[in-house]
Amino acid sequence: MKKFQLGEFEEIVLLTVGVLFDEAYGVAIKREIENRLQRKVSVGAMQSALRRMEKKGFLNSRLGEVNAKRGGKPKRFFTITAFGKQALEYSKDVRTDLWNSIPDVAFDVKVS
Amino acid sequence: MIKSLADRLLKWFCNQDYYVDIQGDLQELYNDHLENGQKMAQIKYLIDVVLLFRLSLLKPVTQILTIKDTGMFRNYFKVSVRNLARNKMFTLINIMGLAIGLASFLLMNAYINFERSYDTFFSDADQLHRVSYVELIDGKDGVKDAMSSYLVGEVLNEELPEVIQHTVSKPHDELIIKYGSSIFREKKVITADSNFLKLFDYRVLAGSAETMLNDPLSVVLTESRAKAYFGDKDPIGQTLQVLAPQKSPVIVTGVIQDAPANTHYNFEILLSDKTLELAEEHDYRNWDWNNYYVYLKLAKGTDLSSLDEKLAAVAKKFVDEDNYTRLDIHPVTDIYLKSDFTYESQVMGSDQIVTFLVIISVFVLVIAWVNYVNLSTARALDRAKEVGLRKVIGAFRKQLVSQFLVESFLVNLIAALIALVIAEASVSFFNQLVGKAIIDHVWNNVPFLLSLGVFLILGSFVSGFYPALVLSSFRPISVLKGKFKTSKKGVNMRRALVIIQFAASLILISATLIVHRQVNYMQSRDIGISVDKVISVTVPPSNASTEEEYEQYLSRTNSFKETLRNHTGIETVGATSNLPGGGASDINATTTKIKIVGHTDLLDGTTYIQFNDAEFLNAVDMQLVAGRNFDRRIRSDSNSVMVNESFLHRFETPNILEMVNQKIQFGNDPEDQFSIVGIVKNYNRTTLKSHVEPTIYLPSRRARNLVIELEASNYLGGIEFLEETWKDFYPETPISITFLDDRFELLYDQDRRFGDVFMVFSLLAISIAILGLYGLASFISLQRSKEVGVRKVLGASSSQIIYLFYKGFITLISISGILGLPLIYFLMSDWLDNYAHRIEFPWFTLLISMGIVLFFALVTVGYQTSKVASLDPAKTLKYE
Repeated sequence: MKKFQLGEFEEIVLLTVGVLFDEAYGVAIKREIENRLQRKVSVGAMQSALRRMEKKGFLNSRLGEVNAKRGGKPKRFFTITAFGKQALEYSKDVRTDLWNSIPDVAFDVKVS
Repeated sequence: MIKSLADRLLKWFCNQDYYVDIQGDLQELYNDHLENGQKMAQIKYLIDVVLLFRLSLLKPVTQILTIKDTGMFRNYFKVSVRNLARNKMFTLINIMGLAIGLASFLLMNAYINFERSYDTFFSDADQLHRVSYVELIDGKDGVKDAMSSYLVGEVLNEELPEVIQHTVSKPHDELIIKYGSSIFREKKVITADSNFLKLFDYRVLAGSAETMLNDPLSVVLTESRAKAYFGDKDPIGQTLQVLAPQKSPVIVTGVIQDAPANTHYNFEILLSDKTLELAEEHDYRNWDWNNYYVYLKLAKGTDLSSLDEKLAAVAKKFVDEDNYTRLDIHPVTDIYLKSDFTYESQVMGSDQIVTFLVIISVFVLVIAWVNYVNLSTARALDRAKEVGLRKVIGAFRKQLVSQFLVESFLVNLIAALIALVIAEASVSFFNQLVGKAIIDHVWNNVPFLLSLGVFLILGSFVSGFYPALVLSSFRPISVLKGKFKTSKKGVNMRRALVIIQFAASLILISATLIVHRQVNYMQSRDIGISVDKVISVTVPPSNASTEEEYEQYLSRTNSFKETLRNHTGIETVGATSNLPGGGASDINATTTKIKIVGHTDLLDGTTYIQFNDAEFLNAVDMQLVAGRNFDRRIRSDSNSVMVNESFLHRFETPNILEMVNQKIQFGNDPEDQFSIVGIVKNYNRTTLKSHVEPTIYLPSRRARNLVIELEASNYLGGIEFLEETWKDFYPETPISITFLDDRFELLYDQDRRFGDVFMVFSLLAISIAILGLYGLASFISLQRSKEVGVRKVLGASSSQIIYLFYKGFITLISISGILGLPLIYFLMSDWLDNYAHRIEFPWFTLLISMGIVLFFALVTVGYQTSKVASLDPAKTLKYE
């Protein structure tokens, strides 16, 4: 049984929201991911991940000020919830655990 | 523009809670993208919107639909279901009719699409063309030969800038291949040069596409042949021993996917073209040796008519100066359905038959739709009060229309589901019927399901719209007062539809009968030779390399024949170059001009050539009109020839019998003379679709196809002896015996299938129509039950009443006859014209089909009306 359902892309988005802290809204998150990971992110994929995680309770959101540059539309800022932080920690622990369980020999084997 | 459209789309599907800020995000990105131009930014915007179409971002479904009053829809649904359940017969007839109609329409459609899909799977299918030679007689097209000379490809590639690449291929003789201890007879072998796989981009599974056909003695196998030889072993680099026609090892250099069934040029093994270079050097360098299929890849969008002049110039410069030949360039994708060329490599399809099938399938579907329209409007009386009441309560007409459309959608939906089941159940029968494996399953066949969906929607509208209009048009006051009458207009419409249905059924039934008569005629007609008890075997080709060895090979063949002749079960053994009952291309031909020395001038035209030995004539019972058969004892007979009547008729000589012992001469060379020793009565060597070709028969010792006439009383013994003797003489080659009458049967396979398809679908069509008539008759007679009651009270007898009903229907069917018969005549005489030997247009079959339709119609109507006619008037009139 999975304790937290967190996909790979979701995890990246969630972490990025954390990185941006107070400035985490759609376009900013998209740019941050694109810069850091050097990969294209579609608005659709990202928004769908954000809303999914909001529903799961990993994220909170609030609407910001109306902004003229955005055609009079407000930004929606996301913040990580405590539950979201747990999910990230859980995911990190699982990985660390797995890393630690790999016998050293496994990395020593040379591919000839 | 794009942006505002995209925005509306987003607003439509996007969850309202998310819309505001997502749109803001998009706007911000849009502003950034504006640097790269507005167009680009707008397109990016649209792409983003489309990518936003995700389940987690959607509005709840109920909000997306513009229809808000789902409550009313639920009511429509409920009332529809109740109505359908109340009138079980009506529902059953409609659903079954629609289901059968839809299933047959869709299956037929799958077949039609398959026939039209030939050769479209190549990546550059639209650029691929084939060059062929068309003989010109007085400037008009004569015989069109699918094959052309080897050099044509090369020269066209040089002379025409439009040609990108060319490839030359030809069907190769059967190969007998030994691998390990097993021996295979490979019949589908073609030669191919290194360009072949560039034009026809079959998927290469092993080996290098660039080089696999470069070297002599290389073969490329299709996947399934490779499996047959090597199983799971790697085939590349393996050596196969070819035993015949030429003993030689060949190396497997590649494996490609199996050629799919829908290509005009099927093969299982590619033999590198270089292999034959030495043997065929003369042919490769000769402009008159039309033995090759030459394919060109043209530049994209080349207009074929713009090439005409250049082609004529090439033909004049290289092929012949006198313009007796035209070069023709033909799209490869058209070959299968539209080819009218001789020397095609396989039996081609027919555009005309496909058109016929389209007509049949549409007929069947329309008949089913008409059923629904007729039955729904006939039942208007039942629904009138409901409609009146709804209107009184305040229903708009639009709402009523949508109510009836919901109902028709429901019926069509159930029918579509049943159609799916029917189609799935009958798919193997259908494949058998058309003789091709079109689809294995329908439920996982995407195009099939897609068209099922399309025709479900289309059918709901087509069949539902008119009844919806009629039913929703009632005026509440008159309806609720009980003064409702079926309108004259409605009745006439219904009559017209019944007429259409029966005209369609009539056309299908007559067409079925005519096709069957023509096929039977062709099979039973005296073709001029007798092949009932004649079988044939083909002795292996020679692999002799010296003259001496070849003589040995010939004497071996001869002693094989002699041995056979000595058996009591065998009457005669002859040999020929081309067995009777072969395809159109199974013959040799020359376009060299011919004259009868001293009687005529040189004459244009194709002359067909067959090589026979002296016994062939007796083995197949060929009839002599004049002169004699070849005789091996007469020395000069190597320069003699037999001709058929058709050959002499072409010269328009007054008395053909006088031509015996005259000489024919090929071209201007007096050395090239043959004397006519015998004149053979015309006989059909192939289907009766073609006329008997002008043919000359040359004596030959080399013919490999033995025709063996069996003794009727001991034919089994004869066959057994043949098999044993074969094993003694040719232990390395498996024997394969053909019955000549089977070969003739096979020629008509396509026509017979066409007839069967016609029959099955016209049976379906007529049963759907009868089903509809049954329903219609029952409603009409029920509605007129009061009238019947009054008539009975006034003294009419049951039979008089039945006659009254009959009169109406007989008039309808007569009108459909009058409308349908000219159509049948035009369609079917056109079809019959395809056959050189055709039946007269069988007028009386039209009477028979009229009879069939009338019979079924009258039985159906009679059954229904007699029920009403026998009712006690006291009961039907009780309420008046």
